[in-house]
Amino acid sequence: MLESEAVQSCWRDFADVLSAGVTRVLLYGPPGTGKTFAALLHGTTGDAERLVCTEDLTSGEITGTWMPSGEGTFTWREGPGIRAWRGVEGRGARLVLDEVDRASGDALATLLAITDSPASARWRNPDTLEWIRPGPEFSVVMTSNVDDLEDVPRALRDRFPVCIRVDRPHPSAVTSLSADLRAPALAGSLGPESRRVSLRSFYAFDQLRRHHGAARAAKLVFGDQAAQGVLDALTIGAVT
Amino acid sequence: MTGGVVFPELLHGRDDEDGLRSWTIKEGSTMRGAASCNLAERVLEVPLGVGALERVVRAHELVHARVSPHAHHLESALDEVSPRALECAEELRVNTLLARLGFDVDVLRDGTEKLGGRRVAEAEVWPEGICFFIAVLGTGAEKEYLSGIRQGCSAWLPALRAVRKRAVAIFSQSTATLAATRLNDDGLPSGYAASTLVLARLLTQTMEARVPTAPEELRVFRRSLEPGARRPATGRFATLVFDDSLERTRTAGSRSVRRSRASTTGTVLRYPGRLLTDEHRRAFAQRTSSRGGVIVIDQSGSMDVERDALEGLLRRAPDALVLGYSHRPGDRGHAPNAWLLCDRGTVAATYPSGNVGNGVDGPALRWALGHRRGDEPVVWVTDGQVTDSHDHPDGSLTRECAQLVRRHRVRLARDLNEATALLRSNRANAPSSLAAFGRVGRALLDEGER
Repeated sequence: MLESEAVQSCWRDFADVLSAGVTRVLLYGPPGTGKTFAALLHGTTGDAERLVCTEDLTSGEITGTWMPSGEGTFTWREGPGIRAWRGVEGRGARLVLDEVDRASGDALATLLAITDSPASARWRNPDTLEWIRPGPEFSVVMTSNVDDLEDVPRALRDRFPVCIRVDRPHPSAVTSLSADLRAPALAGSLGPESRRVSLRSFYAFDQLRRHHGAARAAKLVFGDQAAQGVLDALTIGAVT
Repeated sequence: MTGGVVFPELLHGRDDEDGLRSWTIKEGSTMRGAASCNLAERVLEVPLGVGALERVVRAHELVHARVSPHAHHLESALDEVSPRALECAEELRVNTLLARLGFDVDVLRDGTEKLGGRRVAEAEVWPEGICFFIAVLGTGAEKEYLSGIRQGCSAWLPALRAVRKRAVAIFSQSTATLAATRLNDDGLPSGYAASTLVLARLLTQTMEARVPTAPEELRVFRRSLEPGARRPATGRFATLVFDDSLERTRTAGSRSVRRSRASTTGTVLRYPGRLLTDEHRRAFAQRTSSRGGVIVIDQSGSMDVERDALEGLLRRAPDALVLGYSHRPGDRGHAPNAWLLCDRGTVAATYPSGNVGNGVDGPALRWALGHRRGDEPVVWVTDGQVTDSHDHPDGSLTRECAQLVRRHRVRLARDLNEATALLRSNRANAPSSLAAFGRVGRALLDEGER
């Protein structure tokens, strides 16, 4: 079951897109499915740079900013966007933009510049006046918890030709769970928001029930009202 | 996550489908029929309250979602089992699993069972009576329902207990076996095939059975519930189902069957005795010719139709209507049990050799009588055995056929050659010849004596 799900799921699409060399991918869908986890680790060999977007995100937090050096002077510190352009020895690295639908104003304009096509993208370091371009291995994976792509700014979306809806965790993300919870955890995010059970909830439940039993763990994690429903579904699902 | 009380997405482990999908939840209630599980469209209709009954009803529908077969698996069984039997047998499987998982199935009742049981029994609707009993077996509704049955028709109770015992035996398999959704060699979920389908077959034949009341009938009924046993008697004929697929060719023969009739005028004084015995003094013979007649042929196991004999008949009576019949015991109207060997000038190129049982003797005779033209003769080729839809010989059905024979002057023949000869005569069977026609013959003799 897990194997066939793995083959058929959105994660296969993601792997295929990355292996084909596409360097701009948007992952969207319900929270708690491991989109960020996958964006950081899949299809990249080096360390990825991560940027969590908020309404207060500034342009400087993307490209870099002057920081006090402690001797009355300031030194330029590059932000994650430019660090990802450079990567190791200028080859470029993965940039992960989380919750991209929340970015606005200046930050959004800067993100558009950072995620532009390699031919157009360039940025001048205000300290060294060096022109910097993204390295050949630079790639961007954006993630968003929206259910509807319309909620992502159109200009940003246009830079990401491939958008994949992720509605379930990656099979590898559940391997640390107890065996009886792995399959339910893969499906927990499929329902509407009112009965979505995130991967994090399953991990917490798994850990708690070892110490306090399933009933108490369910109440602590899922709440009084939903606990019995979750336990009933797990019991019936495991009937053998 | 907020406020949900039912989580069908968390169910897993089905081996007969792949692809996780979300469900739509509709609010139902705890009343019977007001909760459901639509596997095809993934719609779960369940009560959303927090009471114990609401919880078990939700769990019941979740078990359906976890183990019940998809529609195409159910449809493939409908040629051999009744949909109602299948539905109720599956209810028993779900309730059995629910109880084994620790859910309190005693709360599964809505208060209508006692009255429902009494009404079903009073109306003598045995098929629904037995099916609903299976649907509530093991739940809190069982006792109430049986109480209602006792008030309506207590004679049903021994038979219901016998079926209960057999059903419990079928569902005594391990939980893993009952719940298995792995497809078997027939492409059916194995848990469903090993339990629900087995019981549904048994229920289907039991629904059609005559409710046993006498000790001997009950003994035979109990025996019929055992694996591989003969189906119980139904006391009813099956419905006539014609095979319309037979290819037909036009007959070439043109000779008529020549018959003599007693007449008040003529040139040959053939029946001088009638001058004394016949009030109309029909002592002369008048030749009449007939090109047809109706022949009904019992093609059950002991009877056969030879091609030569059929062709011989057609030479004599090219416009004859010849009906063959034989019912497959227990068939529910899917296998044809009647076919026209000859139809007023056409003959079937090939025809079935029979389906083992009789099962439709009465309906076949009635059909033939309804299709006779004028006073043309009707001949019944029979061994004198009359059986019900499960191929049990039946006294009342035999008498029913004997009455048709007597009332409509149907002639009895043992084979097609004899039938052909009888078309030429306008005489009824001599009483001395009736003994050769088994039960029907004896019934005719008994009626004659009365």
